[in-house]
Amino acid sequence: MNTISGLFSGKREGRVFLSPAVLLLLALTIFPFFFSLWLTFGKVSFVGGLSIHWVGFRNWARLFSDERFWNASSNTLFLVAIAVGLEYVIGLGLAILLSQSKIRGRGFFRVLFLTPMMLAPIAVGYMGRMMFNQTRGPVDHILTHLGLPAVAWLSNTDTAIYSIILMDVWQWTPFMFLILLAGLETIPPDFLEAGRVDGASRWQLFRHVIFPLLAPASLAAILIRVLEAFKIIDTIYIMTGGGPGISTETLTLFGYSIGLTAFDLAYGSTIAFSLFIMVLVMSIVLLLMTRRFQEVTFE
Amino acid sequence: MKFLGRERPLQIATYALLISWAILVVFPIYFTVTTSFKEKLDVFHGPKYVPWVDFKPVLKWWIRLFTVERTEVIPPFINSLVIASVSSLVAMLLGTMAAYSLTRFQFKLGRFGNQDILVWIVSQRMMPPIVTVLALFLLFKIVSQKYLLDSWLGMILVYSSFNVPIAVWVMRNFLSQIPVSIEEAAMVDGASRRQIFFRIVIPMTLPSLTATFLLCFIFAWNEFLFSLILTFDNARTVPILIASQHFQRGPQWWDISALSTLAIAPVIIIALSLQRNLVKGLIPIGK
Repeated sequence: MNTISGLFSGKREGRVFLSPAVLLLLALTIFPFFFSLWLTFGKVSFVGGLSIHWVGFRNWARLFSDERFWNASSNTLFLVAIAVGLEYVIGLGLAILLSQSKIRGRGFFRVLFLTPMMLAPIAVGYMGRMMFNQTRGPVDHILTHLGLPAVAWLSNTDTAIYSIILMDVWQWTPFMFLILLAGLETIPPDFLEAGRVDGASRWQLFRHVIFPLLAPASLAAILIRVLEAFKIIDTIYIMTGGGPGISTETLTLFGYSIGLTAFDLAYGSTIAFSLFIMVLVMSIVLLLMTRRFQEVTFE
Repeated sequence: MKFLGRERPLQIATYALLISWAILVVFPIYFTVTTSFKEKLDVFHGPKYVPWVDFKPVLKWWIRLFTVERTEVIPPFINSLVIASVSSLVAMLLGTMAAYSLTRFQFKLGRFGNQDILVWIVSQRMMPPIVTVLALFLLFKIVSQKYLLDSWLGMILVYSSFNVPIAVWVMRNFLSQIPVSIEEAAMVDGASRRQIFFRIVIPMTLPSLTATFLLCFIFAWNEFLFSLILTFDNARTVPILIASQHFQRGPQWWDISALSTLAIAPVIIIALSLQRNLVKGLIPIGK
């Protein structure tokens, strides 16, 4: 970063440049955030004009005794854990393969591999809907041709969530790949050479050189993906609509359907806030892990 | 990096894996694009894969999209284009100004400095949209239902605020690399801060500004939840069109595949032409 010289100390001018962005965020993110927090203690009524009454902790009490909330929470956590885990493993594998010095067509593979994450999730969801269709979709068609049993992907309460996970992996593995490839490119070749001279096996090189050096990039990529995956709605909205039943309903989808479909904005906000708390806790845990890790490695 | 070595079996395995993943990446996109050229029967009678081999491609769904269904299909595309472009411009401008300010001035708010302000701005992007969007719906209804709900203005405001953190993040990475000496020289010559920003900084960062704009554009173009809640009819965007068409006529894959193709085409074009810049802007590591 540049040094800030005396000529640049005009405080008022700095504020003039900073404030539009800050004001926009205050008005359209921070204010709605607190308004939403207030709503979780209220009841919104549209009868005879809009009014909001204070009801204390009634929404929160309802939330904790609502089985649909626990179902949505566990679906969300399950989806985040499995999808992000798979994305990390596949992304790391692809990044290692593509970081080898003598790969032909590297640029081509790189561009191609990154494409899915740029696409509208709603279109990706629709692709998933076609892919996993039992009678007209290619996945089961190919499975049966390979002599494998067909799966009732989207119409079965046990498998529907896996169809969504697979589409999420398809779309977001590129993100892991992108960050991990950039991380791999910063590893000095000498480190590997030194290990090799010492007679380390490939697995040892990976385990004791590459993986630890990649840890900061790994944790950053996982943190961002976890936070993003917690918010998932678009793919599910179109692939299963949360169904069959509520077997694939996530917190965002639940909050949406209570807030706007059932038009209970206060309870919808309560659900949304519970998601916010989970995301907050999760990011604090992951950030602490990152810090702990840095202390251990760089002491 | 040399890690896997040059042994022939390893080389073959590497390419086999890379090509397999490439096929997995391409296949759903390929299937969607080709489905938009299929006759109804070719969709209903199990999956067909190769045009002219196992089905005869037809253009009629595409023609229908731009003729009979024009009044339904075109407005959301215009909405998406306007909302995404304008909001990305706003986010880019405000984000660049903020990033400029954070790299050129020293702020002190109690014990919080520049780094804290940056983290505060960027962390806004981490907030789940559902937390704010229900409240925004209500606020827009209270403030001005007519001008903010289901309108370009409301959507542009929301998308700008949702893209500002990204713009600040990307532009800060670029701006912190530009030496301040040129600006100092201009200042000695009596240029005002505004002149420096618009005449020197903006032209110098034009390539990164383009990358920032396109990145914001992609996010806005693809966004679903805000649009789902804050638009109903007049300002509906493309993702909402696809979702609603899907619920109206789910099994008619050809129509929705054509729409999906139209929705992903601009993004693929942007990505292919500017991938390197986009990637560099997003991750400062690896430079």
